[in-house]
Amino acid sequence: MATPFKYVGRSYPAPDASAKVSGELIYGSDLRLPGMLYAQLVLSPHAHATVGLIDTKKALSVPGVVGVYSYHNAPATPYCRYRIVPGQGGCIDDETLFASTARFVGDRVAAVVALSLEAAREAARLIEVIYTERPPVLSADAALEPGAALVHPGGNLVHEFDHATGDPAALPASAVTTCTAVRTQMLHHAAIEPHTCLADFDVSGKLTIWSPCQSVYGVRSVVADLLGLPYNRVRVVKVPMGGSFGGKQESILEPVTAYLAMQTGRPVSLTLNREECIRATMVRPEQRSVVRSVIRADGVLLDLEIDTLMAAGAYASSSPDYAEAMAQKLTRLYRVRRYRHRGRVAYTTAPVAGGMRGWGAPDIATCAEIHMDQIARQLGMDPLDFRLLNLVHPGDIDPVTGRSVGEARVRQCLERGAEAFGWRDRVAMPPGRGRIRRAVGLACGAHKNGLLSDAFPESNTMTLKMNEDGSLDLNASIHEVGAGSVVTLKTIIAEELDVAPEMISAREADSETSPYDFGCFGSRMTYICGASARALAAKLRARLIEAAAELLEVSSAILEAANGRVQCIGVAGTGLSYRQIVQGSRTRHARDMIMTHTYKGTSNPGSYSVQFAEVEVDVLTGLTRVTQVLTAVDIGRAINRGMVEGQCRGAIQAGIGSALSEEVVIDSTGRAGTGGFKNYHLVNAADMPPVTVLLVEHDGDDGPYGAKSVGEIATVPTAAAIVNAVNRALGTVITTLPLTPERIVATLLGETAEIGGRDALCF
Amino acid sequence: MLLSTVVNGAEVSLDIAPDARLIDVLRNALALTGTKEGCAEGECGACTVVLDGVAVNACLVLAAQVQGKSVLTVEGLSSAGRPNELQKKFVELGAIQCGFCTPGILMSATALLAGRRRPSHDEIRRALAGNLCRCTGYAAIIEAVAAAAGEEGSQT
Repeated sequence: MATPFKYVGRSYPAPDASAKVSGELIYGSDLRLPGMLYAQLVLSPHAHATVGLIDTKKALSVPGVVGVYSYHNAPATPYCRYRIVPGQGGCIDDETLFASTARFVGDRVAAVVALSLEAAREAARLIEVIYTERPPVLSADAALEPGAALVHPGGNLVHEFDHATGDPAALPASAVTTCTAVRTQMLHHAAIEPHTCLADFDVSGKLTIWSPCQSVYGVRSVVADLLGLPYNRVRVVKVPMGGSFGGKQESILEPVTAYLAMQTGRPVSLTLNREECIRATMVRPEQRSVVRSVIRADGVLLDLEIDTLMAAGAYASSSPDYAEAMAQKLTRLYRVRRYRHRGRVAYTTAPVAGGMRGWGAPDIATCAEIHMDQIARQLGMDPLDFRLLNLVHPGDIDPVTGRSVGEARVRQCLERGAEAFGWRDRVAMPPGRGRIRRAVGLACGAHKNGLLSDAFPESNTMTLKMNEDGSLDLNASIHEVGAGSVVTLKTIIAEELDVAPEMISAREADSETSPYDFGCFGSRMTYICGASARALAAKLRARLIEAAAELLEVSSAILEAANGRVQCIGVAGTGLSYRQIVQGSRTRHARDMIMTHTYKGTSNPGSYSVQFAEVEVDVLTGLTRVTQVLTAVDIGRAINRGMVEGQCRGAIQAGIGSALSEEVVIDSTGRAGTGGFKNYHLVNAADMPPVTVLLVEHDGDDGPYGAKSVGEIATVPTAAAIVNAVNRALGTVITTLPLTPERIVATLLGETAEIGGRDALCF
Repeated sequence: MLLSTVVNGAEVSLDIAPDARLIDVLRNALALTGTKEGCAEGECGACTVVLDGVAVNACLVLAAQVQGKSVLTVEGLSSAGRPNELQKKFVELGAIQCGFCTPGILMSATALLAGRRRPSHDEIRRALAGNLCRCTGYAAIIEAVAAAAGEEGSQT
């Protein structure tokens, strides 16, 4: 395909790829400092209990133990781990360094610091805590029942809303209504790197935190405010991260590790094991949404009404915003005359819920897209046709946000994807009558591009410096999560200045030296930070042209930047190389080639993905095998094509797990029955189906070269496409995820009430 | 106890606790931190090393068990700082994202390719079934292993 780009759209290896294959890249848990101490947390074994006396005598007698900390000797200042910006609305300060009331199995009760990890672990085992148990609160439903035990003194209802747009009047007589209640489960992010943090408080009174985090400035604010330090005495360094998927986006380990470093005056390292990561960091929330819609007899969607109930777990964290985010997805996807979304978020004595890849979009898409298939079935329509009739068009205004959905190509994704997948032929195939039933399913999804809303502005600041040899240093607050942001930004600058990407160095975020940025949230890296990098590079290019004109004593109007030099327009080899310009400017005009730019976000269009899946379900064992997936993504422009495809495939790996096998299960006492990958099943290489990736590219949005987000949208419709395929194969409407073999067999045996999806919640 | 073993071709003698895990000896005593710990129960494969030609989870092997044997870790794949064919293909074909699972996958693939010159894609998938990756969806990893096998095959 002919492309107007020299560097954009090619495939580049991940950042630090050479150090990753040689084993030399130092991740957080690989860091060692002289005099470093090791911390081990003591976590509550009870879902809900008052923490009484803590006997530390035996623990303190273990050789090498430096200190034991709990609410008895640590401050009880409440904080919110989710706060990114000081003064941020919607943040509830309900967590403390150490719990005096344990609110879930895994709540932080104490910490031991010792010279060795072995000593810290041994001492942690010897700490005796007197607990007075309280009744657990196991679900959001139970939390809101009258007389439920209170997880926090203010009541169990954390947040509620009721948003409605559009006109509820006059339904046509022929309208039909459908209702579906869908429940999505608690999920573990399952980054292969466990949570880790290293902190040091030096003699000058400066705190340094090395963390694989998603926002150095967010961590800085939370920790500095909590520990009473000025912002310039807390330095947060983003270190290489072995995956996050949102699991490391909040200040989970940083506050306690920083506190331990301050108390001991020594570097303190804290690394969790897998069980602790699953139970004691955060999970994607469990939620159920009742989806009701009114449809005209010809299939046009009129009204969509959702009622969401979500479990926040023990601390509010991001749950209020998360539930609100769920209410801002479906009107980016479907044209509706009226949209109403009610939401309630309740405390439970369960692991803390928080953002995960997609931030509510996969959850609500799963609910809505299972519902849409149910409507299509009710109307006797092909689910493809039903969606084509109702999906948004480019330039539509989202009635909830009041903003344009931008150059929304979701219909193109659907049409191109259906053709490549052979949907029309395959959907007509009967699933068979034997033990193995085969069928296809599809689903659509929408997500966003950055944080811009009426309530929140978008911006990013970066500095770009050209050295005397023409090489470049980008100083930006980059948080590489494994999705290639560093390479994306380099590629954009390379394209804009017409220099090889290898000429550009880019460091990751360091709150002491990097310009401010919110962090890696909300699918904003490419759309906002990428646009910022492009604008900055264009500014530097203009400066280079100006400087060359000055050195050459010609008008800048006859000059252009190309091939690493400023030349007469269209005449290669003339003019000056970048090297000559930087050197000449400095020695002759005392001018430095360094620019800083603040980019302000102007739009927040939709990103879209449509996915098609084929499944084979064994009706005897209930085991589902996904045999093929096709994903069509409205990417706008792929900057690093190989990485975009990798993101899409990885997103489907996670989506299949959420559809079929992954769940953090809580038993009747509130204990997480899930303690490791032994009973939290990720899709492995042997079970991963072939995935075809189709990218729909176009201009028209404000991202760099038209680029939009991909990392989150790529996983939004996966679970729904698979569930829809399973339901088509079996003739069921299973609406409780995940579709484990046990659940499928129970459904086929008629042991569950959910066939038809019209459970009691729909009446 | 005194452990005598060979790690990445070099003879090693050190005093270890009898209950020390191989992963801890590699990462702490020998500072070979390329071997990663992801689950400590043999499920994720991030700590995979090659022990006398067989891929094993270093979190499930006691250091004492490698007495007199030969251990290959990811640090032993490069020679004089130059990546081998498998490492090169991982970089070139986009088989790496966050990179945390990469060392373990390289070691499982190394054990596979040592025993089988031109494995099929299915054989590769099965050989990597014990290595979890949350980033890539595995496709590029499988392609990279197949490409490295092809490359080595064509050289011999």
